[in-house]
Amino acid sequence: MESKIIIPAPDPLALPAPYWLFLTLLVLTFLLHIIAMNFMFGSGILAFIAYQKSKSEEVFGRIYESIVKKIPTLMAATITLGVAPLLFLQVLYGQFFYTSSLIIAWPWFFVLIFLVLAYYGFYSVAFSTHKKSNLMGWILIFSVVLVFVIGFIYSNNLTLMETPQQYAVKYHEDPSGMNLNLEDPTLIPRFLHFLLASLAVGGLFIGTIGLYNWEKDNAYAKTILTFGGKWFNYSTMAQFIVGTWFMMSLPRESIRLFMGRDLTGTLSLTIGVIGAAIAIIIMSKALKSDDPRSGFKKAAWLTGLVVALMTVIREIVRESYLKTFYISHNFDVDTQWGILIIFLVSFAGGVWLWIKMLRVYFKETATT
Amino acid sequence: MNYPVWDISMGTGMLMALVAIIHVFVSHFAVGSGLFLLVSEKKAYKDNDTHLLEWLKMHSRFFILISVVYGAVSGVGIWFTIGLISPSATSMLIHTFVWAWATEWVFFFLEITSALLYYYGWDKLTRQTHLWLGWIYFISAFMSMVIINGIVAFMLTAGDWPDTQNFWDGFLNPTYGPSLAIRFVFSLALAGIYAFVTASRIDDPDVKAKIIKWANMWIIPAFILLPFIAMWYIGNVPTAQWESALGAMPTATFYADLIMYAAIVTFVLAVLAWFMARRVSFVYSMVLLLSALATMWSFEYIREAIRKPYVIGRFMYANGLLESPSDTDGGFSVEKIDEKGILNTARWIKYDHITEENKVDVGREIFRVECQSCHTVDHYRGIKNIIGAKKWDRGTIYKMLDGLDLMRNAVMPPFSGKDEEREALADWLAQVTSAPSQKQEVSGDGAQVYNTYCNSCHNYKPHDALFRRLKSWNKEKTMARLDSLPALFNRMPDLELSEKERSTLIDWAKEQFNGEKGK
Repeated sequence: MESKIIIPAPDPLALPAPYWLFLTLLVLTFLLHIIAMNFMFGSGILAFIAYQKSKSEEVFGRIYESIVKKIPTLMAATITLGVAPLLFLQVLYGQFFYTSSLIIAWPWFFVLIFLVLAYYGFYSVAFSTHKKSNLMGWILIFSVVLVFVIGFIYSNNLTLMETPQQYAVKYHEDPSGMNLNLEDPTLIPRFLHFLLASLAVGGLFIGTIGLYNWEKDNAYAKTILTFGGKWFNYSTMAQFIVGTWFMMSLPRESIRLFMGRDLTGTLSLTIGVIGAAIAIIIMSKALKSDDPRSGFKKAAWLTGLVVALMTVIREIVRESYLKTFYISHNFDVDTQWGILIIFLVSFAGGVWLWIKMLRVYFKETATT
Repeated sequence: MNYPVWDISMGTGMLMALVAIIHVFVSHFAVGSGLFLLVSEKKAYKDNDTHLLEWLKMHSRFFILISVVYGAVSGVGIWFTIGLISPSATSMLIHTFVWAWATEWVFFFLEITSALLYYYGWDKLTRQTHLWLGWIYFISAFMSMVIINGIVAFMLTAGDWPDTQNFWDGFLNPTYGPSLAIRFVFSLALAGIYAFVTASRIDDPDVKAKIIKWANMWIIPAFILLPFIAMWYIGNVPTAQWESALGAMPTATFYADLIMYAAIVTFVLAVLAWFMARRVSFVYSMVLLLSALATMWSFEYIREAIRKPYVIGRFMYANGLLESPSDTDGGFSVEKIDEKGILNTARWIKYDHITEENKVDVGREIFRVECQSCHTVDHYRGIKNIIGAKKWDRGTIYKMLDGLDLMRNAVMPPFSGKDEEREALADWLAQVTSAPSQKQEVSGDGAQVYNTYCNSCHNYKPHDALFRRLKSWNKEKTMARLDSLPALFNRMPDLELSEKERSTLIDWAKEQFNGEKGK
């Protein structure tokens, strides 16, 4: 019995819109979520590094302050942008996602507790920058570690979700939900891949603080931009090793997709790898120059493209894992036109209003 | 049965209640406070009241820390938790209401952004822009409530949706309007109640009194309105369902009583605070907050309890099984499971057939997939206590399992499965409750016979069939009729009551409700 593959039946109700629309929204909103998460997590780690360096170099005290003030907002963005992909994931992959979540139910549930603690930790550090103390350093690292653990639990859930062969064995071993997916060969490289990506993209976020302060305080701006840019370079270089490890840990069938069998996958990976290498070169040159702004921006935009391609690659990998158990074109579709139009109008109006709010806010605060 | 069951001894129901109700307590505060902050800020500008303005800045920090942090995370927490506890229902809700949720997400995003800009914008933005952000926040938060309310109310009263499966039939269901009204008015009261927490810490007694009174102007009128809206709400809940809160179901009845006490306490505390506004302490504000929490907790608990046996009204039972069969039900309807059996349907049971050796273990597995969504073994709604208190023997347990859907105002789904599976469940229940192997005669009076065998389905009310008939029939005739209960009504179990049990039951029943006539 134990070796049987058990997968719940898909939901009997028809999809309320075509499959491609959900897939597009899933990939798009996940991309936004992962960028916000990278900003938040990477900034958290770099804030701690700045905190440590501030003991010997004063300017890093200022860098630390300017980073930690932004982390709660980045956390808000991460959570808010995470809701949408979570929603669309459940529409398309519910029978896999609910099952893997249930098998690791306790760690999954604890994500919430860790998240609340980390969030309050970041806020207490942000509100206490004027009294930078050892306690704040501890709270900061504690919050960063909690986010690290959350990421690890997510990696466990999403790797398990893609391997239904493990469901029955793990569930019957412990139906109380005290499980993880530590045996999965892709778990560690996958998690490290995301960790390094966070550090790299977080570095870019920190660097943008330098861009915005360039005219006001050139020396400080250059220091923070260089700090962010260097960390971007170190972690992207390390990504070549970890990324290769991650790639090699995938099943042979999945690897082949990126070796020519799947055009989108092969092109995405090739452009992604080359793009990352070029971004390192551009960033290195920029950091050696007197005015690194232009090079920094180019490297940042190129990285944005790489992250977008990696999101597509991730979806291709998921489909290759589940293709035996999941046939997307088998879904019945019964589009709910009325509410779908309301959503699309709200979405367009919401984006417009969101941009307007930020523009008005930054315009007015820039003058005060 | 389609999904695995999260098997934890404490039961998942309490965990769900804890996550959901505390979230709701914060999210309603977040909606009401949108309007509260806006109106208060306008008032401060109009009256040129710098004290009020300074307090608002401080209060908005408290507001951000509670609503943006805890409110947002616990909102996601509900997603996590319902997915773990009722995956089939969650999937069904997502497939039906995904665009409503997606629309709500847009408003949620605007809500969080505008809240943060509002908070960080104090002293940096013009008054006009600051108020404009306040309006965006309030409208977005209110729209979130408008949308989520439709889905929550749908679970209680699904309207025509089970027949049409049309989005709007489910969304604009019978309790939609009163539920939205009750939630919005309560959210305004909560804005005032949470304001007590920060206002109570103001040192200057005059300023404190002024703000406490201002906050109270949001609480007292709301609490005067709430009973009327509650009556509107109750009027839209099907009468048979509401019976659960009137004595038929212990949980619903308990919270129906508690909500009245808690609401009265909250109201009285608010009124008293009006007269001692200068002396309202932090502890006083916390007591007020807790009594408001008890009110909200009770409201949500009643809603969840009277929804039973369903998780989605008239469509899906609390254990994830579908009430009616259809071509696409995946075999998870009661009728199909009766035909095919649990072991051939449930995907996560270890056994595929019953033997003498595994019978008790199979019973445990059946309990997990059919009963554990509401019951635990020996904690919350622990089956060990419920059945153990009755002192039923194994045979009685087996017979009673056939009428689960009649018990406690029909708040349980029927047992679905083959007869041998019911046998296995009865064996396991007999084992965990240390049931006697043979039926033992009830030694006490008729009340004890009633409590042992009858009150699972019958209500202690004059119009209940048991009392109506036992009072009107003569004893001799009744003795004969009670000898074969299925002949009276074919869903009644053949309990084989002894002559003494029948006699004491009849004598006792005849003495009840003297002066009150059964209908």
